[in-house]
Amino acid sequence: MGSSIRKAIELILSADPELLNILSTTAKVCLTSSILALVLGVPVGILLGAERFPGRKVLLVLNRTLIGMPPVVCGLLFYMLFSGVGPFRHLHWLFTVKLMILAQVVLITPIIIGVMETFVADTAPALRETARGLGFGRMKEYRLLMNECLYSIFSAYLLSFARAIAEVGAVAMVGGAIAWKTNVMTTAIMMYTNRGSFTLGIALGLILLTLSLLVNIVLSVMQGRLSR
Amino acid sequence: MKKIVSLLLAMIMIFALAACGQSAAPAPAATEAPAAVEEPAAESAPVEEAAPAEEPAPETDALVVDTCILKEADDAMINNYSLLAVNPDAPFVDADGNAVADVELNTVGAAALINWLLSEEGQNLAANYGFEEYGEYLFYLKDGRPVSTAEIPEATEETKHIRLSTTTSVNDSGLLGYLLPIFEEKYGYEVEVYSAGTGKSIANAKMGNADLILVHSKKQEEAFIADGFSYVIDGMETERLNWMYNYFVLCGPSADPAGVKDAADVKAAFKAIADGKFTFISRGDGSGTHTKELSLWPEELGITAEAESFKDYTDWYVSANTGMGACLVMAEEMGAYILTDKATFLTFVANDGVMG
Repeated sequence: MGSSIRKAIELILSADPELLNILSTTAKVCLTSSILALVLGVPVGILLGAERFPGRKVLLVLNRTLIGMPPVVCGLLFYMLFSGVGPFRHLHWLFTVKLMILAQVVLITPIIIGVMETFVADTAPALRETARGLGFGRMKEYRLLMNECLYSIFSAYLLSFARAIAEVGAVAMVGGAIAWKTNVMTTAIMMYTNRGSFTLGIALGLILLTLSLLVNIVLSVMQGRLSR
Repeated sequence: MKKIVSLLLAMIMIFALAACGQSAAPAPAATEAPAAVEEPAAESAPVEEAAPAEEPAPETDALVVDTCILKEADDAMINNYSLLAVNPDAPFVDADGNAVADVELNTVGAAALINWLLSEEGQNLAANYGFEEYGEYLFYLKDGRPVSTAEIPEATEETKHIRLSTTTSVNDSGLLGYLLPIFEEKYGYEVEVYSAGTGKSIANAKMGNADLILVHSKKQEEAFIADGFSYVIDGMETERLNWMYNYFVLCGPSADPAGVKDAADVKAAFKAIADGKFTFISRGDGSGTHTKELSLWPEELGITAEAESFKDYTDWYVSANTGMGACLVMAEEMGAYILTDKATFLTFVANDGVMG
């Protein structure tokens, strides 16, 4: 462990260009995918939580199933679809950051939908009663709901960011862990582990955890401020 | 208040991490120890004899590698590396088995890379690779190898990206990291290296995701050609361009309980391991090394890539299903026998078995 920690610090201090490239690719992939998933997932989650319509239960069950989708299966699916022989081959997206983001959005959005739905289904009835009592219209009612949701939107985002940064199965399949192009922290750790470079693997893991800690501190502080 | 406390805590953690690292005073020698650990000629030289000459190694987790080369330079152990250009008119099929006609491949780029690797410059660079770092050449040029004198075109916007699907050993030994930047610098191409076991690399190419492959399993290469996935590029005589080789080596604990050192040849050595049921680590991942290992067992054991075939041998035959380096770490820890390419083994020993 000691040698891993030393290695991690050596790596950071030396500003190894390959490490910097891996870090920037990691940041690009997981920030973009988690934000996209948030934009897609929050409205759907709120609607599913607040409204009652036929088929809602079915959608909820489907969504819960998708939350449990193994990343490697998602990766395999996109690998097949965007492969040189797959139906979307002309886009040339395989082994690019774009497809890694897409695969992660598919993995993460259900989590955000699930979190938002649970929260809204809990708060919406009481809030609706208040809103109706005050004579608010439907738009105003939703705005009120959004306000109430702010804290849980942050929680949902933290969860989805964590999933994005920790995920390896899907990005390894569709990214191919190509050096200088699609290699992210988790796939680099996998690569070094396969090579038997366990020390280097743990060193990268420590860097990843430290970064994750910093991001989480910033977001948590923001969450505290905003929801006050 | 709570926030400040948690921020402080986080800062303390980060500083603690930093302090740990500094106080241990970076000792680069641990990772860059010279590789002259085992004598190339004397097959039996146990590694420890040379190792104590190194610095006393202050860390507790520095290992001295016990695993050593027991059998090498046998004709059955030659490890041939070949280049194959992927045929744009190959009978590609999609996941449902329907033919796909318009798979887009960068044939110009693939030919350029092949022609450069087979040019005098590329061949010399490959042949000299590794001597400085490991005190031994890692790859040798084959007699009667294909040589290219073709003009290599500069990259254009359409031909710039070359997708090379390759085996882990040429990537992990650092050969590609050494050769490709020179090629890229000179002609303006960008080579994207997809590195996996030979089986997976070939599967990736069959899905239309590679312009050329660099692999080391004759059997699988011939099947690839027979299925029409490769073609003869201009100026070459065959699809399979076998230009470089090195050796597989049979490694094991220096005590050598199976006595493979004294075996007449490598097949006899494998028989001795099987007869004595001494632990053997198999890659088990369809790689070139795995394919070679399968061909060396006595036939009556019937060991194949199928899990069914070795279910009776699980007390000594370990199918690890992972990369070469990770398997070497396993073999070292279990005192097991293992078949490995020599380049990866030299890297392993040079790093005191930490592969770091």
